[in-house]
Amino acid sequence: MSTTDLVLLGVLGVLAPACGVLVFTLDSMARVTFALLASLCCVGGVVTVLGLPYLGVVIVLMMVMEMLIMAVFMIAYMMNPAGLMPMSMLHNKGGSLVVSAVVFAALVAGIFAVPWPGRTGVRPKDTTFQAGTALMGDQMLTMVTLGFVLLATMVGATVLATHRGRYDRFGDDLDQRPAKDPAGAGVGR
Amino acid sequence: MDVTGLALRAAAARPRVLLAALPGGTAARLEAGRLLRLRDWPSAATPAQADLLLVVGPDCPRLHGALDRLWRDLPAPRARVHAADAGAVGARLDEGRALLRSSAGQREQAGTAAAAARDADRKQPETSAGADGSGDEEDPGSRHPHGGGHHGGHSGGGMDMDMGMEMPGGLPMAEQGEDRDGLTLDRLHVPLGPFLADWPAGLTIRVTLQGDVVQEAELREAAPPGHAGGAFWVQPWLRAAAGEPVTAGEAARRRAAAHLDSLARLLAVAGWPAEAVAARRLRDDLLDGAPGTAVALRLDRFARRVGRSRALAWLTRGIGRLSTAQARQAGVSGPAARAGGDVADRYRQWLADIRRDLGRLAEGSPLAPAADEGPRGYWRDDRPPSAALMKVLPELLTGAELAAARLIVASLDPDLDELAAARREAGAHG
Amino acid sequence: MGEPGAWWTLLAAPAMLLALAVLAVAFTAVLDARDAGRPVTVAVAVRPFTGVPRAVLAQPRRLPGADVLLWRAGAVLVPVAAVLSTLVIPFGDTVLADLSVGVVWFNAMEVLTWAGLWLAGWGPDAAFSLVGGYRFLAQGLAYELPLMFALISTATGAQSLRVTDIAAAQHGLWYAVWMPVAFVVYLAGVLAFSFTGPFGYPAGRDLAGGVLGEIGGVDRLLLQAGRWLWLAAGAAMAAPLFLGGGAGPVLPDWAWSLVKTLLVLAVLVLAARRLPMIRADRYVELAWVVLIPLTIVQVLVPALVNLNR
Repeated sequence: MSTTDLVLLGVLGVLAPACGVLVFTLDSMARVTFALLASLCCVGGVVTVLGLPYLGVVIVLMMVMEMLIMAVFMIAYMMNPAGLMPMSMLHNKGGSLVVSAVVFAALVAGIFAVPWPGRTGVRPKDTTFQAGTALMGDQMLTMVTLGFVLLATMVGATVLATHRGRYDRFGDDLDQRPAKDPAGAGVGR
Repeated sequence: MDVTGLALRAAAARPRVLLAALPGGTAARLEAGRLLRLRDWPSAATPAQADLLLVVGPDCPRLHGALDRLWRDLPAPRARVHAADAGAVGARLDEGRALLRSSAGQREQAGTAAAAARDADRKQPETSAGADGSGDEEDPGSRHPHGGGHHGGHSGGGMDMDMGMEMPGGLPMAEQGEDRDGLTLDRLHVPLGPFLADWPAGLTIRVTLQGDVVQEAELREAAPPGHAGGAFWVQPWLRAAAGEPVTAGEAARRRAAAHLDSLARLLAVAGWPAEAVAARRLRDDLLDGAPGTAVALRLDRFARRVGRSRALAWLTRGIGRLSTAQARQAGVSGPAARAGGDVADRYRQWLADIRRDLGRLAEGSPLAPAADEGPRGYWRDDRPPSAALMKVLPELLTGAELAAARLIVASLDPDLDELAAARREAGAHG
Repeated sequence: MGEPGAWWTLLAAPAMLLALAVLAVAFTAVLDARDAGRPVTVAVAVRPFTGVPRAVLAQPRRLPGADVLLWRAGAVLVPVAAVLSTLVIPFGDTVLADLSVGVVWFNAMEVLTWAGLWLAGWGPDAAFSLVGGYRFLAQGLAYELPLMFALISTATGAQSLRVTDIAAAQHGLWYAVWMPVAFVVYLAGVLAFSFTGPFGYPAGRDLAGGVLGEIGGVDRLLLQAGRWLWLAAGAAMAAPLFLGGGAGPVLPDWAWSLVKTLLVLAVLVLAARRLPMIRADRYVELAWVVLIPLTIVQVLVPALVNLNR
């Protein structure tokens, strides 16, 4: 590992938990969201520096999209004044402090206590390919199953949560076209 | 290096103009639009984007408050000029540019602005409304979505909250209500108008938004009864009704120009600036007295591009449906009633009407106001057609998304000057 | 494989991106002048830039309740992300950092505009501005997945995520020719993430400028620059992804890269004027019901071709 990598690792390693602490100290929902996003982007940087560029960049990519969507829902559906309103994000302060301290201590202890295996083979030049074969080669069945389960969950949850059913949209005989929606959509169904 | 001088010269080289049209100022607005287009002075949509505030039209005391708010929001270096009629616009624009360029003028303004700010501070904290403007009785929460929707008493969730805390900017919080999709969301009261870009002059619609869905719409008209300044678009009809000789060709020309003006606004709101400029050029040429043959080719191209645009039809279909029967029942006549459909039907009707009128520009027969409809329809029992258009607006706007609401208003394009003219006439007769 | 960039490429890449953006602005100004019936002269192309010193020296805006930190962060994030995206865009043979995951890097930087625009809309605490910020997210949900599949088709075709590999893998037959759906979707995506023309929904005139409505001074300049820089970056990326990169007869590699980039940029600027603003409430359904299936089928094409090799 070069000096640049070590410096980067150090900087990102400090920034990530620092932004994480900000998540619990800032008092605006918008700022909290973006502190968490910054922390996760630092984690993506750490993963990249550690030699997994694909996973690192994908973490940044996915987290930006996910946190933005989360920001929308958090702010839109918060039942108290979110956003700029001064508010605390902490629930059950004492208990959570104990739990997080214990988990953190356990993880740090794990770093030193686990007998990590030494490297046997040569380090591959492009780890993206290895990450791909590891996921899609041996674990293809798992991934395919997981994918379908996730998709089915999302579709199912949306169908259950939606206010209006198909009889509201298509009429009692399901023959009403286009559907009766509050606003027309793109392809006129 | 004289940095202030550089900024002043840069601002004056190509001032961005916030055009605020007062009721009755249609002729001046058209002249201002024409000059800005020819001089390449871009038109700003909010004070934050502008250097020069150009107020056009006869003075209207009821809108002074809203104008002052626009002015307060204009960042320095800035200038403010008022052109009461079309003839004064060119001179006022030059004057504004000179003001922008001179450091003395800017310093003077900075002094008065500071004094005004001190005055405002002594009063309650007011909001700075954007060009979204505000009615006369601006409520301080309208611009501010952040002041969420808290009503106290939410004990669930266990959030630690200080109830007596200071709100950001000293703003009140929004209340909540059921929304269109069965969710309980914040309500936000946002005034549309009176100085919104591409918006009927003098019209204010106070909408209650949840998300960007209009839950309620309430119309306010800023124009005082019988204000000075004629109703520009219906002038030939008013003159004919008063017994002056007016040819049908002249009326057809005015009507076609009025439709092109409405189309330009609709296209601007629909986000098609290139075609909006084409419509404005055609309108200006027609008002300038260009013969039909001179504009026929360009009009044809414009009508083809806009009328046959599948993208525009796809984006506007199903929005603001107003059937012919509904329209007639509400007293709507003119293109909106004949189109009998959505926004797409209405702009196509305008295009068809413009094409028909283009063939009639040379007609020398006298105008019969009762048989030949005005740009927005017939006057019945001294009721101007725009009054009926205003009547159907709240119902059409309710439940529409903000972008759709703007399209609906632009596709009906009521002319508030007609209302004022009707009141003045009623006053004269009564 | 591209050559690793020398130290000067670190400065040259942003400078070239800026030059391309300036050209796009000037070209737009000329087209505007022609449409508005003004005489087309050299001065016409220069006039938009008088706004730069004006913006730099403008009075700062103070609004009640604004979150200035987040607002400014959003305005800075958009142009910075555009510049960072050039890290992986090869120009002829030269590329600043030939990352093994170049396509994903470009995609990740582009997604940063989601955060930037939402923040720029949120910051001023103004209704229209906020609606503008949310509009970009709705637009993002519509354009992002088809765009991702379009990028993946090129990577599948070259069996590599490295941009120089993708440019080299086209062997004279451009991906634009045999992956036309991916190419068109990519170009639409470029207009969408630079929120320009038909995808100017977050900064719509109907919202009095939306995310650009309340912002002033340097922040405004940065956000608008970000818009044009992204357009330029998207055009520059189209050359290696779909048009064979620097490959071409007679001329040197860098010249071909430049020609292709300029052509794509001109096409984007012209196309942006030919369409009205596409609202996300209409586009989302089109994207999910029509474009995503189409682009998935498009990914299948290079995958099958590669299996048969």
